[in-house]
Amino acid sequence: MTRTTSGRLSRAGLAWRAAVTLAVVGLAVNGSVRGNDVQWPFAPMSQFAFKVDLGGQIRSTYIEADTTAGTTVRVPLTAGGVGLGRAEVEGQLPRLVADPALLQSIAVAAARRHPDWPRYTKLRLRQEVSDLRGGEVVSTRTERLADWTVLDPTGLR
Amino acid sequence: MTRFSRWLFEPAPLSRVALLRIAVYAFVVVDVLALHTSGWYHGFADPVWYQPLQAGRLLGLPAASVLLVEVLKWGSVGAALVAMTGRLPRATGWAVALTWSWYQYVAFSYGKVDHDRGDFVVALLLLPTVGIAHLRDDRRSQAAGFALRAVQLGAIATYLLSGVAKLRFGGPGWVNSATLLRAVVRRGSPVGEVFAQVPFVLHAMQWVLMVAELTSWVIFFLPERWRRLMVLAWYLFHAVTYATITIAFWPHLVMLLAFLPLERYRDRVVARWRARRVQATAT
Repeated sequence: MTRTTSGRLSRAGLAWRAAVTLAVVGLAVNGSVRGNDVQWPFAPMSQFAFKVDLGGQIRSTYIEADTTAGTTVRVPLTAGGVGLGRAEVEGQLPRLVADPALLQSIAVAAARRHPDWPRYTKLRLRQEVSDLRGGEVVSTRTERLADWTVLDPTGLR
Repeated sequence: MTRFSRWLFEPAPLSRVALLRIAVYAFVVVDVLALHTSGWYHGFADPVWYQPLQAGRLLGLPAASVLLVEVLKWGSVGAALVAMTGRLPRATGWAVALTWSWYQYVAFSYGKVDHDRGDFVVALLLLPTVGIAHLRDDRRSQAAGFALRAVQLGAIATYLLSGVAKLRFGGPGWVNSATLLRAVVRRGSPVGEVFAQVPFVLHAMQWVLMVAELTSWVIFFLPERWRRLMVLAWYLFHAVTYATITIAFWPHLVMLLAFLPLERYRDRVVARWRARRVQATAT
């Protein structure tokens, strides 16, 4: 208990607060100047911090699936989906492209969480690429990143 | 005491902390149940996707499971509901800090880290240190003053360091790049679609944002009236951001409340409401 009845802090109360403030400021500055995401909560505030070239590209990743019902659907990379968000798939994209077998786990997660959905049989990892010129979107196209034929689609659980 | 430590520990009314607590803990309930649910749905992801952060490696935190995320979710909701009553402020406050922070850790250890939530951890860790604070207790305490000051510092540091990160990763050219256009194209809203047609508006917004972030610390040197106007300006900025790219830095909006004399606002609202009731019974 560091607060006295007069509302003033004791010496120890002042000291630990000052020390913690210094430590947190130090960690936050260090994270911002030379750290990366792995240091969260002392990571750099890098959301929207990257430069996008006015003549460059904007990429949006998605996964398309063929199902046992014969339909083709977008795999929802949202809260109600397969346990992963779009930005997270993008964050782990190099792994996925190097090892498309990881897509199997997405078919498994869908079957577990949504037993009433038709099972995924084929998964296609794609990116929609919007080309910019002078800071405006002039054309869009689709790029293929990886394909995976789901193993034992009807036996997933 | 030096001038700086007098400022850092400037006594503030306990009732202000009591009101901020209600806002913070009410927000925790809404956030966990409705706003930021990636911590929850990671419970359904295959552990192969778990990418432990440093904190998780240090503490040996496991990959998420359905059981873990349900415990963290309902644990933080339950503790926050009790904390809102103002009872057992230390025990319930620490419980919320622990469960909510861990829940965010689960959210951020699957390939994407959001940066508007670190400062809220500061608020959760500091509110319990004030101890009992009644809504009607206008006595000033240093513990309350420090908690409020630290929350203010956390909120402003988030802006300043966002500006620093833009300079570090994007460079000074960031202001003239297509970063906001990218955000609109990727997760457009009806208002955003309109802005995508007039890229110079987005371009101008980037200048405003960079200047505002890098000068945000000025708020601590302004007279009280200007300080409140600046907080209002930030709220407006966030409203526009939400309309264009459907991104809101929710926890951060709650942190900004620490700049405002909440107990006086409450008194004014209560007085007006009473006056109206008296008038209504008189006529």
